Amino acid sequence: MIKTFTQNDLIRYVYQETLEEENIEIDTAAIFDEALADELHALKRTMSALDTVERIPSFKSIDKILSYSKSYDLHSPK
Amino acid sequence: MRKYEVSDSQLISLYKNGNEDAFTELVTRHKNRIFTTIYMIVKDHDLAEDILQETYVKVVNTIKSGRYNEEGKFLPWVTRIAHNLSIDHFRKAKRYPTIVLEDGSNVFNSLKFSEDSIEDRQIKEDTHTLLRELIQELPDSQREVLMMRHYMEMSFQEIAEVTDVSINTALGRMRYALINLRKRMDKLNVAYDKNLYPE
Repeated sequence: MIKTFTQNDLIRYVYQETLEEENIEIDTAAIFDEALADELHALKRTMSALDTVERIPSFKSIDKILSYSKSYDLHSPK
Repeated sequence: MRKYEVSDSQLISLYKNGNEDAFTELVTRHKNRIFTTIYMIVKDHDLAEDILQETYVKVVNTIKSGRYNEEGKFLPWVTRIAHNLSIDHFRKAKRYPTIVLEDGSNVFNSLKFSEDSIEDRQIKEDTHTLLRELIQELPDSQREVLMMRHYMEMSFQEIAEVTDVSINTALGRMRYALINLRKRMDKLNVAYDKNLYPE
């Protein structure tokens, strides 16, 4: 018998918070349940879209941060 | 959560012992997520750059002075500092309003797509801007969970504790956030461009 999953289970699954045993159950169920497979696919695509909106800071900012760390002993209160 | 060969806490231990390369790896690993969190609040690229630097000054001072609490996870801790500093700036800006020009400094985003034509880059940037707007339009409770889980990489259990709700409520809010985003993206026909989001 194919186990049914709640929508919250699927959210935990796509964010990799399910146990290995649950992963196997969901992966198996998705092979036989087209609606479940579609739902997972849609969730993953929305997540991929979220990744693309990441902004990238300038190299200059990163350099300043790394330089601050390297020169910490020079400017830190003793 | 993303998996790395060397964990954040191992890198922090190395950094505490003077290994600056470990710090470089920590900064490089998380810079985009932290910067995005800041940008989502202040919506100004230059200001976000300043706040990112300010955030890491606090991080360096805390770790190098031996005040870093090992119990918490690194990324949620840094993003909390970034979040607080962003809110502080936002409050100051409201108190002392200034004219902020529309952000035109997308050169670093453009670098990511250097193989594309100018037109392709513009389409992608427009789409990303639209997506950021859609995220901003989500109800506060949904946007909060989405930011914490997706960009700050907090677990649903941690989000439930911080926001004082059950884990099922946190999961439900995330689910509605993703459903709402998907519906709006469908409506605007932006989500399923395979060039943007490969299968």
